Amino acid sequence: MDATLKLWVVILAVGLLNYLSRLSFIAVFARRSMPPLLGRALQYVPAAMLTALIVPMIAADPAAGHAMAFNPKVAAAAIAGLVAFFTRSSLWTIGTGMAALWLLQAVS
Amino acid sequence: MRRLLASPDFRAGFVGMLPACVGLVPFGLVCGVGAASAGASWLAALGMSAFIFSGAAQILAGQMLAGGAPVAVIVLTCFVLGLRFLMYSAAMAPHLKALPGRWQQALAFLLTDQAFATAIRRFNATDDPRSGAQHFLGAGMALYLCWQVTNMIGFFAGNVIPAAWSLEFAVPLCFLALVAPLLRDMPTVLAAVVAGMAVVALGGLPMKLNLIAAGVIGIVVGTIADLARERWMRR
Repeated sequence: MDATLKLWVVILAVGLLNYLSRLSFIAVFARRSMPPLLGRALQYVPAAMLTALIVPMIAADPAAGHAMAFNPKVAAAAIAGLVAFFTRSSLWTIGTGMAALWLLQAVS
Repeated sequence: MRRLLASPDFRAGFVGMLPACVGLVPFGLVCGVGAASAGASWLAALGMSAFIFSGAAQILAGQMLAGGAPVAVIVLTCFVLGLRFLMYSAAMAPHLKALPGRWQQALAFLLTDQAFATAIRRFNATDDPRSGAQHFLGAGMALYLCWQVTNMIGFFAGNVIPAAWSLEFAVPLCFLALVAPLLRDMPTVLAAVVAGMAVVALGGLPMKLNLIAAGVIGIVVGTIADLARERWMRR
């Protein structure tokens, strides 16, 4: 498939599915209530899905070198994670995380 | 329309969201940069931010496109990521029940992680659904405008940012800012830890299928832990 066409198909399909998910209980299933087991499972979507996205972005690529070598991204992410946990502020999280990475890259 | 824009609730919602918009600036920039590095034109980048309107899904779609994953796998993975909107939608539904259909359709379009958090607090504080809806519309529109502008700036200015700044690291940091505050009970921590280990363990799967597989495994483990905890506490 042509790359531009593929991109637009993804945009329209993901956009439409996102909108239908947002509209679901507000309009489409307005007369139904959430099945309890589904409601319980959905609570874990953000934690599971977002962690699955985060880990490959900060973990060292084993092909790139020593798996046990110090990885400044892991250390910076750990610091940022603590800041996020306590402040709940995205600005503080990104600020400390980036500053920690720059500092660790400068000294290592 | 003009009367709506002048209503105090709409204005309060719009202005009240501005500080949160500042916090989203880096995320929006990074999404614009991500669209550019996935090979999108400026129109496609605008299409992503205007139509998908979800930073996590935009980043995920961009990365999977760049990694050569097939359309069906990209759409399915983004759908699982977007399942959290079902939860928001169900929580919002009772507050929007009395409103006309076009209000429901417009507000559903603006239902994001940040708008949901603000709107649900407002609806719980007021008895008047119209006032809450106007506030929600104002907050949602502030977020929407900020999102389009920051995405476009990221798209056009991304290539002038030096590589030594490691701006790509802002992506996992944006997600960390969403995830870390959730890790306050055992099932959620388990869901995150198991998903994080599974995504590495399943790294050999083709087409980035490890993302959706790890997500589903984490969701199942979290749900089982939740059920087990409830049974244990009832004893």
